Amino acid sequence: MARFLFVVPPLTGHVNPTISVARALEDRGHQVAWVGHPGAVCPLLPTSARLFALSEHAPAELVAQVTDRARTTRGAAALKFLWEDFLIPLARQMRPGIEGACDEFAPDVMICDQQAVAGSLVARRRGLPWATLATTSAGVTEPLAGLPEVARWLRELYASLEREAELEPAPDGERSPHLVIAFTTEAMVGPRDQFPAHYRFVGPSFAARPETTPFPWEALAPGPRVLISMGTVNAESSGRFFATTLAAFADPALAGVQGILVAPAAVLGDAVIPPNVIVRPYVPQLALLAKVDAVVSHGGHNTVCETLANGTPLVVAPIRDDQPIVADQVVAAGAGVRVKFGRVQAPELRAAIRAVLDDPSYRAAALRVRDSFAAAGGPAAAAALLEGLS
Amino acid sequence: MMSAAAPADRTAEILRTVEELLIEVVGDELTLTGPITLATSFNADLELESIEFVALAEKLQQHYAIDFVAWISGKQLDEIIQLTVGELVEYVATCQS
Repeated sequence: MARFLFVVPPLTGHVNPTISVARALEDRGHQVAWVGHPGAVCPLLPTSARLFALSEHAPAELVAQVTDRARTTRGAAALKFLWEDFLIPLARQMRPGIEGACDEFAPDVMICDQQAVAGSLVARRRGLPWATLATTSAGVTEPLAGLPEVARWLRELYASLEREAELEPAPDGERSPHLVIAFTTEAMVGPRDQFPAHYRFVGPSFAARPETTPFPWEALAPGPRVLISMGTVNAESSGRFFATTLAAFADPALAGVQGILVAPAAVLGDAVIPPNVIVRPYVPQLALLAKVDAVVSHGGHNTVCETLANGTPLVVAPIRDDQPIVADQVVAAGAGVRVKFGRVQAPELRAAIRAVLDDPSYRAAALRVRDSFAAAGGPAAAAALLEGLS
Repeated sequence: MMSAAAPADRTAEILRTVEELLIEVVGDELTLTGPITLATSFNADLELESIEFVALAEKLQQHYAIDFVAWISGKQLDEIIQLTVGELVEYVATCQS
């Protein structure tokens, strides 16, 4: 029996995958706990979970700021903002509370989300074995490989945290040298021989989340159906994209296809909704994914994985952060088509949707990814790997 | 921003070509908000997407035999964020002189 401490940032997508892994560890007789911000983390965890609470003040402001800026910032400016104004201050804010949780819980192993950078500092200070969770499949890629000056900037930001924590600088110190668990498979990120041996791909870790959002199931049409979901953070800034989507569905080429558009009504303004489109502010996504033939998405890792786990192809319109990388992985896997979020016009979007519906190669590729997910072992495989560190 | 080595007519000619290449990459709507000038920024004004940068690099390689990717790779993050069409035009002019 060993004690495992999860370090999570106040971000839903980064907490959810830990829940099934924690349960798998408990099933194997281990003790688990989390350290994080209760406001963001508590509602997601099982009621029996043990959470060491971090101070709430700063992260609430930080997350609000991030959500706000995320609406307007893209590209290189988004990268600067993510690290300088969010992840680094978050690490400073989290470190003392993580030290306290370690004093109290005395973990044998720390499991640190890649965006909870402070976890790596504390694990290294204490000389504990630790694992990095790469929640998104972009987390194991090297997007800055062609930009040495930008990579240097990022290393220096982390080095400033290392100095504050009185740690010897280590190259790539924010990633565990023992074990990096990525919630993806080779079908998405490419052959594993291009990665270090301690990088392990276990496939997605879906939390069995109860879906209480109502949906008018009787309104689903018998023909092909397409779910259009651009992520909760992006709904406000997706007005142009949604208008383009409505125009695409109004075209005779998509007359027999039903669109289910996830969007707040206010964003659509007085746009004419074609009769083959249902607009809902929220949907029970997991249940709906089992009933659609294609998904149009911003390329968020969770939505992409949930879609591919159904063997369903995608049209991806990435907006920022890891989304362009995830979108390229979908395209490289053959499971979808990429369009430009900021510029795509109705004819091109319509053609992309027709392509993933009509060309069987996209579905065949999505089914291959689905099979790779099923074979990867998921949370149980992650738990077995983590056990090896204790 | 322009170096003395690039005379005004040469600069204008490169700017026109870069604008044509950008329109080939992005589409006609690029110029809906006005003409591209030396002060136009790739990130804030054109909102160039990452795949468009890649496509532009290929076009510059074909047209001018310049290595756009290598040029960008030497830049700091702030320089990339603020990169203008004028800086690219100047770089093309330097490569050709």
